[in-house]
Amino acid sequence: MSELLGIYNYWIYVVLMMIGFYGVIAKKNLIKQAIALGLFQTGIFLFYISMAVVDGGTAPIWTTIGDGSIKALGPYDNPLPHVLILTAIVVSVSVLAVALAIIINIKWKYGTIEYDEIAAMDRASGGGDDD
Amino acid sequence: MNEVLLVDSVLLFLVTVCAVAIIEVRSLYAVAMLTSVYSLLMALVWTNMHSMDVAFTEAAVGGGISTILLIGTLVHTRRDEKPAKKRVHVPALLVTLLTGGALIYGTFDMPRFGDPEATIHHYRVPEMMSQTVAFVSEREGKQAPPEGYEPPPRMVPTAAPPHGHDAAHGDEAEHAAEGADHGAEGEHHEDGGHHKHPADDFNGHVPNSVTSLLAAYRGFDTMFETTVIFTAGMALILLLRRPREEESTPQEGATLRGQVILRVMTKIFIPFILVFGFYVITHGEIGPGGGFQGGVILATAFILYALIYGRNALYRIISPKTLDVLAAVGVLLYAGVGVACLALGGKFLDYAVLDKVSPGDGEALGMTLVEYGVGITVCTVMIIIFNQLAEEPAKAKAS
Repeated sequence: MSELLGIYNYWIYVVLMMIGFYGVIAKKNLIKQAIALGLFQTGIFLFYISMAVVDGGTAPIWTTIGDGSIKALGPYDNPLPHVLILTAIVVSVSVLAVALAIIINIKWKYGTIEYDEIAAMDRASGGGDDD
Repeated sequence: MNEVLLVDSVLLFLVTVCAVAIIEVRSLYAVAMLTSVYSLLMALVWTNMHSMDVAFTEAAVGGGISTILLIGTLVHTRRDEKPAKKRVHVPALLVTLLTGGALIYGTFDMPRFGDPEATIHHYRVPEMMSQTVAFVSEREGKQAPPEGYEPPPRMVPTAAPPHGHDAAHGDEAEHAAEGADHGAEGEHHEDGGHHKHPADDFNGHVPNSVTSLLAAYRGFDTMFETTVIFTAGMALILLLRRPREEESTPQEGATLRGQVILRVMTKIFIPFILVFGFYVITHGEIGPGGGFQGGVILATAFILYALIYGRNALYRIISPKTLDVLAAVGVLLYAGVGVACLALGGKFLDYAVLDKVSPGDGEALGMTLVEYGVGITVCTVMIIIFNQLAEEPAKAKAS
């Protein structure tokens, strides 16, 4: 039982990633696809942060002891994955923003954000390279 | 049972339910709100796993900014997803089940959750945590390891009773306490940075390991992450900013100025958000926080103002041009710190040489400046992104 609990987090990361993956493939709405991509990303974030946990550990910030000096009291969680994910989250919102901007442009141009309708219009106008 | 895991399992169950709802709900407004809920749950998960800095970022970015961005986009596009012909997309389901199965099979080889012996906690991390990478790599311009210096024990991050209080560590802790009498007026990073003794090294650096890794060990990475964010801002401008002649007649969209409660509450909240944002940026080395988190929090104050009072009111405070310039200034400040280090005879982003400018706390100075750079860029780019997505649809643009 404890063996299974020990990898529970990793299972959830797989589940979240796959929910996002399913959304990217199955959904035709471009906004839904962008959000599903975000779900996929958070799955990976969960994977990294889960690896950082140490039994009995706490946030990797050294403690100020009574006389004002700083001391590593440990045990601490591993800070390296935190650093990676912290920047990745901000980058992910930038990616989402660029994706949304492109989607808005598609809406202006095609009048729809459903992938299959866009593809149909492209086929109707001959190959889709009408730009 | 591990108490982290107990809370974790409940939260992660909720997260999964939320994720399924995000994919299945057809009203896109509902989806936008669900992503906000999802991010807040995720922030709780990060807090539960002691990843405060990530939780900060997730709450501000996921719960705040990206929800606003999504809603801003929905104004331009349709509100509902077109109903699919079939409820379940069978090929997609098969592909995801196969991939998921393969990944789950892989997890059986993962170290147990929270295992202190996992490889990830040992390779290089102890050196990074104790900020003695300088000694390990023995680079020029740094002092050689002082006499009696011992490489950190195997598990510095978890140098706790269960993993042995070996000699080297007890020694270090002793000296840390000793070295505290000079400059212990509550300003933690004032004493040290001179590498008199490993203990001083331990004592004089920034307490928040996440920030020290972010700005020092992974300084290049962070610099280019900032550049990525800057580039995203520029991409938004290129994709959505309207030509100059149209800009001269900005249309005031419908604002919420008439709503008394919203208007008054906004005025009350904004100062607190700003103070909190500045606090998070400036205290990044001491507690959780830093440029990324603080920048996003600051941006939410401006975005809130623009939401309630209209974007023209925001432009009266800070013009689009100023925003563009500031976004570049942040990246340049970061790179400038690197160049300053070069000029002082060190390597790029080698903050230790800044001791020449500000004796004793060169590293703290360098990291603080870098954090300001990140904060300025992140804040302004978030505002730029919001402004661009909130532009009125340009009907003339149809080609």
